[in-house]
Amino acid sequence: MFEPVRRRIRQWWLSRLPLTDSWTLDQRNVYIVPTTGGLVFSLTLLLMLLASINYQLNLGYVLTFLLAGSGLVSMHLTHGNLRGLTLHLRPIPPVFAGDPALLDIVITNPGAERHGVALRFHDREAHGSSFAWCDVPALGQTTARVTIVPPRRGWHGMPTIVAETGFPFGLFRAWTLWRPAAQVLAYPRPEQPAPPLPAAAAVAGEQAAARRTQGSEFEGVRAWRRGDSMRDVLWKKVARSGEMVSRDTAGAGGRELSLEWHEARVPGRGNDTEPRLARLAAWVLAADGQGLAYRLALPGRELPVGHGDAHRRAALEALALHA
Amino acid sequence: MAPLQALRHLPRDARDTLFQLVVIGWTVLPHVSHLPVWCGGLAFLILAWRARLALGNAPLPRRWVVAAVLTLAMSLTLWSEGTLLGRDAGVTMLVVLMALKTLELRARRDAMVVFFLGFFLVLTHFLYSQSLLVAVSMVFSVWGLLTALVLAHMPVGRPPLQRAGAVAAKAALYGAPVMVVLFLLFPRMGPLWGMPQDSAGRTGLSGTLRMGGVAEVANDETVALRVRFQGRVPGQDELYFRGPVLSNFDGREWTRLIPSFPPNLRPRSEIQLIGAPIEYEMTLEPSRLPLLPLLEMTPDRADAAPDIEGWTLTLRPDAQWQVDRPVTERLRVRAKAWPQHRHGPRKDILGLRDFVTLPAGYNPRAMAWAAALRARPEYANANARTLATALLEQIRGGGYTYTLEPGAYGRDAIDEFWFDRKLGFCEHFAASFVVLMRAMDVPARIVTGYQGADAQPVDGYHIVRQSNAHAWVEYWQEGEGWIRSDPTAAVAPERINAGRSLPPARGFVAGALGNVNPALAAEMRQFWEAANNRWNQWVLNYSRGQQFSLLKDLGVQTPGWQDLAYALIGLLCTVSLAGAAWALWDRHRQDPWVRLQRRIAERLGELGVAVQPHDPPRTRAERVRGRLGDRGQALARELDALDQLRYARPARRVPDRGWWRRFSTAAAALDD
Repeated sequence: MFEPVRRRIRQWWLSRLPLTDSWTLDQRNVYIVPTTGGLVFSLTLLLMLLASINYQLNLGYVLTFLLAGSGLVSMHLTHGNLRGLTLHLRPIPPVFAGDPALLDIVITNPGAERHGVALRFHDREAHGSSFAWCDVPALGQTTARVTIVPPRRGWHGMPTIVAETGFPFGLFRAWTLWRPAAQVLAYPRPEQPAPPLPAAAAVAGEQAAARRTQGSEFEGVRAWRRGDSMRDVLWKKVARSGEMVSRDTAGAGGRELSLEWHEARVPGRGNDTEPRLARLAAWVLAADGQGLAYRLALPGRELPVGHGDAHRRAALEALALHA
Repeated sequence: MAPLQALRHLPRDARDTLFQLVVIGWTVLPHVSHLPVWCGGLAFLILAWRARLALGNAPLPRRWVVAAVLTLAMSLTLWSEGTLLGRDAGVTMLVVLMALKTLELRARRDAMVVFFLGFFLVLTHFLYSQSLLVAVSMVFSVWGLLTALVLAHMPVGRPPLQRAGAVAAKAALYGAPVMVVLFLLFPRMGPLWGMPQDSAGRTGLSGTLRMGGVAEVANDETVALRVRFQGRVPGQDELYFRGPVLSNFDGREWTRLIPSFPPNLRPRSEIQLIGAPIEYEMTLEPSRLPLLPLLEMTPDRADAAPDIEGWTLTLRPDAQWQVDRPVTERLRVRAKAWPQHRHGPRKDILGLRDFVTLPAGYNPRAMAWAAALRARPEYANANARTLATALLEQIRGGGYTYTLEPGAYGRDAIDEFWFDRKLGFCEHFAASFVVLMRAMDVPARIVTGYQGADAQPVDGYHIVRQSNAHAWVEYWQEGEGWIRSDPTAAVAPERINAGRSLPPARGFVAGALGNVNPALAAEMRQFWEAANNRWNQWVLNYSRGQQFSLLKDLGVQTPGWQDLAYALIGLLCTVSLAGAAWALWDRHRQDPWVRLQRRIAERLGELGVAVQPHDPPRTRAERVRGRLGDRGQALARELDALDQLRYARPARRVPDRGWWRRFSTAAAALDD
């Protein structure tokens, strides 16, 4: 009955929080309440106080009040365990929809050592129960990793992240709500099993087919460069020489493959957009894996012929953001 | 060494569990002496079992195993305690539950339950003893429990025990001021409801007497009361502290008088004082009996009678002081006593017949012996005093022996003692004396209480222990009233004159020390007693009276309950406001490092060197060199030094004050 009201309040509360990639915890954004354990603890203290009164135990009073004092101090320690920390979210590399994206959260500690800080998503039902515990050394940094699985292609905002702690006694729970501004890009999930590449493209189809049957031609060796596909690395040579070297497929640009929107129709799925994008994504991956040059033609957008990592990323991004 | 090494390399879970088990074992340990043997045995067996499971990384037993052990423990409790309620049964169950719960440590919630049970278990120790030793041992328990609690909330890696221990100690130390304030100001009140009567195990005096009952306390060295005298210190043979007067005998047990006559025929105290009084101050340990064992004879006279705020004190007709409820806290009393006195009716009144009744069918030989004595010509017209002397003669010359271990007596205990075994301690002598006097038609009764005190006072206090518990007699002599007689003195005068019960066999260590260096042993004992006395005066004795005098010292004219509450609330508000002020200040506080970097950036800006806020000092040094060249060399060196300070090991959070001065000097040299 109260669920809608609660959700409304929660929504309102969250919307007050700024979107930021760097979140410094202070008095204003660290909240603290007693846990169930804390309530049971106070009940225990009450019982102990009653026993002390009834049996007139002065040492009982001492014990009860000592524990009460320690509990009170633990509230400050729990709050202090979060206060002062800065959470920072590193840029998140794109992933395929349905694959987990790794969120690197750097926690910077300007003060004394912190223990038992947990990071998780605020809405566990919607964003998964990924959970990371970490200690933060004094005057140092630590990285905590949580994962999120984007269900669909496109840009995804980060869900609200909770940093919480119960240290030292677990009688209180201090937490903060953080809404990172960063977004993660999800590429369309490629079709499984991978469909064969279009058999005969309008341009240079023969060559492409021939190339596929011959396997990759060995045209030379060059030093490994950033962006080279793992398949192009000559692992045997690497093992022998200890240096990263790649196959030099300089001529790949000459033969081109055209990945066309209208050819990517999946039989039985009519004119649906998503299956087509899935197939195109699978084609992009296959072409890239074989080191082919390809062009991508989408309604209203066309990518010229190209190859390599940057081209693949651009192609996948175009697919991800296809309206 | 090898086991220690192995311990150091235990997996974290096993190490934490073992640590917890050790703490629980330590907390349970002091209970072993007063709980049934099976309970201690079972508890340690379970703890050992759990330790084995932890070491072997074996799965925990199933629920039904735990339930079975619990059922067994409950039936054993029922069997050994006769109930599941009450103090001893409760503590027994608590110990077993605590041990069993360790077999269920699955989730964090279970761990929390163990801790809370543990804290409660610590409290139960104070039901039995609140001595300094127990307090110190429980400090370790609480620290251990808190450390284990901290460990449970350090989920990452394998945190060292010392680290968790330090955090626990920090919380407890920071919490100590709260404890002190609450302890001083929390209003003390009486028990909220009646407590189950489980006092018997605590006191030397029980209000009844059964053959053998006093033997147990004769070995109990705990302190019953402390007494300090103003002026003359009375001799040991004058130190009779009057406890319950027992006049009713059913053949087995002596109890207080159940009068069979209307009040106007009953004997009254009728005290007549002779000579000079002794002024004394007494601190009584809680006895859980509704009476005060005051020095004989403390009369009900305005200038001499004791007075305790909040208590109603009355002098019973048998000259014993009673209070309106069981004494459950330490009481301090000032009063005057007259060692020389007379009391009781001087003329024979009907009510005295209560003191010659004997149960029919018990001790036939003693009855016959008394009748024969009475029938002897020299005693035909003897008064009570002469008959008492004749009995004491018989005790002195009849081959009786004083011993603390006379063995068990049967149904006709007096016959057995008087004619056959002739072994006993004060209560055997006193009971036989009274029975024989009554058999000769002389009113007589047993008085229980304490006799004597430690020979050497500690801090001016004479200590009376439970082992000073004693039983003596009073017989009635026409024209004089009740006359005290101590038949035990007839056979063991040193018991009375030395003021100590004949010492029981000492423990091995105490015995060895006493043999090697008696002076040192005595000194250590005295030191210990003094420390204990302070502990009692300052901590255990702190009650409402002391609270009010504290408030008086703070300037409250007529302190009351409400003033304590006001003081507490006022203090609470002050502390909260101070906390809020600190929070406000803390909000605007900047990390000293960040502030320093800002100041450096501003200063460099004045010199025309533009730096980014996030530039580390070494980058800034490069900028300075780049912009100012050789002129800036000194300034750049300072920045490099700062970089070293911050990022070398061990890292410093803020440089010393000298650094900023040197930096400013170097910067000022470039200002022109």
